[in-house]
Amino acid sequence: MNCKDFENVIHALVSQRLVDKTRQLEALEHAGQCLCCALRLDEETKLTERLQAFSSTVQGQRAPVRVEEELLRAFRERATASSAQLLGVSSKRLWHGLEWGLAIAATLAIAWTVTFLWPRLHPGSSRAPSRTAHHLSPAPPVVSRAGLAPGQVGPHAARNGAAAPKAGHSGILERATPDESSNELTADFISLGTCDDSQCMEEATLVHISLPAEALLAFGIEPGADYSPEGSVLADVALGSNGVPFAIRFVNYSGGNNEN
Amino acid sequence: MAELTELPDQQLLRMMQMGDEDAFTTLYRRRQGGIYRFVLEMSGSAPLAEDVTQEVFMALIRDSRGYDPARGPLAAYLLGMARHHALRFLKRDQTYVSITQTEDGAWDCGEAPSAYHEDPHSSMSRRETVQSVRQAILSLPGHYREAVVLCDLNEMSYEDTASVLGCSVGTVRSRLHRGRALLIQKLSGGVKDEARHGAVDPNRCLV
Repeated sequence: MNCKDFENVIHALVSQRLVDKTRQLEALEHAGQCLCCALRLDEETKLTERLQAFSSTVQGQRAPVRVEEELLRAFRERATASSAQLLGVSSKRLWHGLEWGLAIAATLAIAWTVTFLWPRLHPGSSRAPSRTAHHLSPAPPVVSRAGLAPGQVGPHAARNGAAAPKAGHSGILERATPDESSNELTADFISLGTCDDSQCMEEATLVHISLPAEALLAFGIEPGADYSPEGSVLADVALGSNGVPFAIRFVNYSGGNNEN
Repeated sequence: MAELTELPDQQLLRMMQMGDEDAFTTLYRRRQGGIYRFVLEMSGSAPLAEDVTQEVFMALIRDSRGYDPARGPLAAYLLGMARHHALRFLKRDQTYVSITQTEDGAWDCGEAPSAYHEDPHSSMSRRETVQSVRQAILSLPGHYREAVVLCDLNEMSYEDTASVLGCSVGTVRSRLHRGRALLIQKLSGGVKDEARHGAVDPNRCLV
């Protein structure tokens, strides 16, 4: 070890940080041979002792208790504020969720009113059930409730809208506002003779069904030019409150195979 | 509380972040002494040490997320904050230590009081020794003083000191070496009295 190496390790040597025993011995051996380095070692050792003496005077010193009290007060205030903030956020989220829930509920209520309640309260302004359901045979029949006026039942047929049952008084089946874009032909209701009671007409339930085209002949209706015995026709069957059909009306009866 | 004292700093910090007051108290009591002494030794002012200690832990209460465990132990992080605050206070109000700043930003050390020009090898009372060392430390340039205070007075490792100061271990060694050399000069009467007191210049001694 030379003087430069010794200078590099002298602090570690005096502060006992030089863990390498070999280097430690080499440094001490060099100090034994070099007067300058021995004096340097002596200086550094004395300085270290003085620094340790000074350090021991401040070793036990700590911040006053009032600092801890002040900090604890601040900590509690901070914790309280954080809790309040967290609670505020939770309440806001809860209220936000309630707002959404109320909005959805209101939308559903309006939709239900428009779909179900409005036709019952204002039967004259509602539309007839969609005809598209008629073309989905053999899907289950579409059922609607409507009253039938006794005068509506008859053997003759007409173009839709022209000879449809008149609307405007209670109990009239809603055919009075036909779809303008539709080319369906409807017949008046044909009584089946099972119910002549006006009460039966009022409580009628309309069922849309698909029947073999031959049913037209069975009811004495002359089929159209495109009639085919294998085809089918759509019909509205009016059921009484006891479930017994009492009237029937053919749709597109002159169109023959209206399933296609 | 007895169990908390056995927990490491980081765990106490996590508990503190969740609002555990006992964890905060334990952490404070464990680390406040080192911070207080560091600032006291750096500035020589007990009120400043008190203020800085409070400020450091206030900052920890306000935002403890700033601590990154990957960058070093919590103690080093707190001492780094204390150093930052202390330097800010010292720059703002230099009445604590009679030092001036040189053009290159380093603090120029003033002359040590005449009492410290006496032969340090003479029989000096312990009180005088302590006072002379305190004054000599306070007269050191700031970056040397930091290294001496942390490594020699607080017995921190070079690595931890480097973490606090935000520099390399080599820089810490260099500053410590230079700071100690300055202390020896001051305590032995300064450069002018070097020959009279027989202080050794390492550069002249090459075997």
